[in-house]
Amino acid sequence: MDYLIQQSLNALSFGAEYALIALGLAIVFSIMGLVNFAHGEVIAFGGYSMVIMGTLLTNNPLVLMVGVVVACVFASVALERVAFRTVRGADLTTGLLTAFGVSIILQNLFLLFGSPRPIAATQFIFLDQTIALGSIRISSLQVYETLTTILAILALMFFLRRTTLGMAMRAAALDFEMVRLCGVRANRVIAGAFAISGLLAGLACIFIMARRGSVQPHMGFDPVLVAFVACVIGGFGSLPGAVLGGFLLGITEVAVLILLPQSAGGLAHAVVFALVALVLIWRPDGILSPAREKGDKI
Amino acid sequence: MTPICQDRTVRARKATLAAKKTRMLEIKQLKVFHGMIEAVHGIDVSVSEGQCVSLLGPNGAGKTSTLSAITGTARSTGSMRLLGEDITQISIEDRCRKGIAISPEGRRIFGNLSVRDNMLMGGAMRKDRAALLSEMDEWFGRFPILGERAEQMAGTLSGGEQQMLAIARALLSRPRILLLDEPSLGLAPQIVAKIFEIIRELKAREITILLVEQNAAAAIGVSDKVYILNNGVITRQGTASDFGDGSDLMDELTGVHS
Amino acid sequence: MKLLALNSAQRQGLLGSALLSLVILAIVGAYYLWGESYQARMLYAVFVNLLVVVGLQVFTGNANITSFSHAAFMGISAYVAAICVTPMAMKVISLPDAPWGLNAFELSAVSSALLALLITGLLGLATGLFMARLTGVGVTIVSIAILVIVHSIFLYRTDIFKGNQALFGIPKIFDLPQMTVLVIVAIFFARMFRESAVGLKLRASADDEVGARAMGVDVFRVRLIAWVIGTLFFAAAGIAYAFYLGTISARPFYFNFVFLTVSMLILGGLRSVTGAVFGTLLISIGLELVRWLETGPNIGGIKFPEVLGLSGLLLGVVIVAVMAFMPNGIMGNREIEELVKRKR
Repeated sequence: MDYLIQQSLNALSFGAEYALIALGLAIVFSIMGLVNFAHGEVIAFGGYSMVIMGTLLTNNPLVLMVGVVVACVFASVALERVAFRTVRGADLTTGLLTAFGVSIILQNLFLLFGSPRPIAATQFIFLDQTIALGSIRISSLQVYETLTTILAILALMFFLRRTTLGMAMRAAALDFEMVRLCGVRANRVIAGAFAISGLLAGLACIFIMARRGSVQPHMGFDPVLVAFVACVIGGFGSLPGAVLGGFLLGITEVAVLILLPQSAGGLAHAVVFALVALVLIWRPDGILSPAREKGDKI
Repeated sequence: MTPICQDRTVRARKATLAAKKTRMLEIKQLKVFHGMIEAVHGIDVSVSEGQCVSLLGPNGAGKTSTLSAITGTARSTGSMRLLGEDITQISIEDRCRKGIAISPEGRRIFGNLSVRDNMLMGGAMRKDRAALLSEMDEWFGRFPILGERAEQMAGTLSGGEQQMLAIARALLSRPRILLLDEPSLGLAPQIVAKIFEIIRELKAREITILLVEQNAAAAIGVSDKVYILNNGVITRQGTASDFGDGSDLMDELTGVHS
Repeated sequence: MKLLALNSAQRQGLLGSALLSLVILAIVGAYYLWGESYQARMLYAVFVNLLVVVGLQVFTGNANITSFSHAAFMGISAYVAAICVTPMAMKVISLPDAPWGLNAFELSAVSSALLALLITGLLGLATGLFMARLTGVGVTIVSIAILVIVHSIFLYRTDIFKGNQALFGIPKIFDLPQMTVLVIVAIFFARMFRESAVGLKLRASADDEVGARAMGVDVFRVRLIAWVIGTLFFAAAGIAYAFYLGTISARPFYFNFVFLTVSMLILGGLRSVTGAVFGTLLISIGLELVRWLETGPNIGGIKFPEVLGLSGLLLGVVIVAVMAFMPNGIMGNREIEELVKRKR
C-alpha cells in the first residue's frame, strides 16, 4: 500500500512535469501550427540565467525563481519575434525545420559561451527533501511539482475562458484570420501564446534545476522530446490532450520501471516509446485530437 | 412591412439625397489578386453614408474577392478610401478599428466558443466594457434564440442562428460600414426572409451596408444602389428602382452569355 | 521491340542523373590526380552521407514529410553487416558475450550485405505500414521515437552491439571505387523513382493531399513504397560505412548525424536529387573549413582560438537561413539538366 502511494506520487510528479512542458508546446502549435523544437532551449536559457543571476545578483531562491520564470518568458517571446516571425504562415515542414535549426543554434551558443561541462547551480535543491508521513516516504519536490502543475492548469483555464486575449487565442486556434477581422492584433495573440509557453517552461525549469542542480547545453532537449511525444499521443494542438498525454507518459514510465527487472532500467525509455507507437497505430491523430472542420458549414 | 412600391419611392428619394451625403467608402480601379491570378479587373464602387449597396453576380464573379480586398485579407491594387482616408496600406486589424466589420462568407463564427464569447469577440477591440455588455443584451433581446443558447457552443447552432450571430458579432464592434457576404446562402426561405428583415431594420437605423448576394430579388428589395459584377468587371450599375425585381437579370446572374 | 517506354520527364531524369554522375566522377578524378591519401577517408565519408541524403530525398523530399529515423536504419544495417562479415577469430575477441552464437559464424561480404539489406528492409516495411498512415507531425514524432528506441537498444544490448564502445575487427571490403559506383547507382535510382508514376503521385500528394486522393492516388501505398525504398538507401549507406571503417559504435547513429543530413537536404533543396547532391557537397566542404577553424588554425602567423560548437552553430544557421529566405533550397524544384538547358 505504501509502495503504491509512493509510486503513484512518482507517476503524478513525472506526469506533471511532462504536462507542463507539453502544454507550452500545444499552445503554440494550436494557434500557429508551429512545432516549437526550440522550446527546450527556453528551459536551458532559464537554467543559464539562473547561474548568471546567482553569480551576479543574489542567491535568494525566491528571487531566483522569479528570475528564472521571467527569463524563460523573455526567451520565448524573443524567440518568436526574432526567429519565427519570418516563417509565420508557412507550411508545417518549414516551421518545424526552422524551429529545429533555431534549437541547434541555441544549443551551440550555450556550448560556445557557456561550457560543454555542467555548471553547478544548486540554489533550488532545498526543494527536494524527503518527508515522512507515517510509514510513507515522499519527496517534497514531487508534491510541489504536482500542486504547481494543477494550479498552473487551473490558472490557464481561467485565462483562456474569461479574458479577452485568452478567448482570442482559443478562437485563433480555429480561425486566426477571423480573429484579426474582429480587430484583435495577430502579434498580441501570438506573443501571448509564446509568453504563456515561456511561463510554463519557467516553472518546469525550476523543478528540473531542483533535481539536477546543474546546467548543460543540452539539458532542455530530453524533457522536450518526451513532451513532444506526450502532445502527439494526446493529439497535437489539443490542450487537454497535452495534459492527458503528459500524465499518461508519467504513469507509463513509472509502471515500466516497476514492472521491468532491475537490469533492464535503461530500456524503460525505449519501452515507453514503443507503447507510444502502439497508441499511434490505434489512433493516428492522437487520443484527443482537436476537431478539424472539413468543408464549409452552410 | 411596407408595400413594395412605397418602399421604392422612399428609396429613390434617398438615392438622390445620397449624392449629397458623405462618401463612406470610395473604391477606384480596384484589382484583386489571389496569388498570381487576377480575380477583379479594375472596378469602381462607392457607398454613401446610410446607404445599402448591393454587389450582385454569379459564382466566381469576384464579389467575395472585392470584400476581401476591403477588409485587407486579399492583395489588391487601386485606391480605397474610408470617409476620405486612404486605407490601402492599413493592416486587417486596423481596418476593423477604423470601422469596417464583416459577416463573411460561410459565417465563420468561432465554433469552439460559446455564443456569448463569440459576441464578446466582436467587441474585443472596444474599451467600454459596460456599454458592450448592455449592447449584447440588446442583441439577445432582438434575437431571443441567441439569448436562449448564450452559453452553448456556437458550432451547435443552425445556419440561420449562426448568421444572426455573425451579424451581431460584426455590429458589436460599432462599425462605420457593415460588409455582408451572402447572408442568405444555404438558408431556408423563411430564415432568409427573417435575415432580410434584420437588414431592413439596420438600414432604418442608418447603418451603412455593402451587401454581396446571389439572391438578387431580396437584395434589390433592400438596397439603394446596385452593382452587377461579372467575371471581375462591373457590367451594370444604378439605383435599385432601375432594376425592378431583378427578373431580367437572370442571364447576368447565372453567368450565361446570350 | 518496345523497351522501356520513357516519357519526357523520365528521359530528362536519365540525363540529369548522368550529369550528376559526371560531377561525382570529376570529384573522384580530382582526388586521384591531386589528392593526398588521408583525403580518401574524407571523400568516402562524404559519399556515405550522400547515399543517406539521396535516400532522404526519396521519402522526405518527395512526400514533404520530415522524418528523423534514417540514422537508426543505417545503424541497424551497419551492425548486421559488420557482425556477419567479421571473421570468427575477431568476433571472439570483440564480442565475447554475444548471444545466439553470433560470434560463431561468418558470412561472405555479399551475403552479409544482402542479409543487412533484408533485415533493414523488413523493418522498413513494418515501420512503414503505420508511418504511411500518419499525418505529417505524427510521422516526425514517431520517427524520433524510432531513432531513440533503436539507439537505446544499441546502448542497452552491449553484448551484441557494444554500446558506445567500438565494435572492431571488421575487414575492409569497400573502397573508393566501389563507393563511387554505389553512389552513381543510387543517384540514378532516386532520380528515376522521382520521375516514375509512383514518384509523381507521391509528389502530387505532398502538394495537395486531398486533391491527390480525389484523383484516385492511393496515398498510403505511394508513401509506403517511398518509405521502404528510402530505408534501403539508408541500409546501403550503413553497409558501406561498416565495410570501410573497420570499427563502428552506436554514437554516430543519433541526433547529430540526423541534424547534419537533414540540413544537407534542406540546403540543396529537398524536392530534387540534384539538391540532395549539391547540398551534401556544399555542407561537407563548409564543415571541413569550419572544423579547421574550430581547431584554432594558424593563419598568417595569427593563432586563432579553439571554438567548440562552431560547426553545430553553422548547421543551425544554414537551416534557419534557408527556411527564411529560400525554403525550397538552392535548387528549388529544379534538377541539374534544367540548369544546363537554361544556359544554352
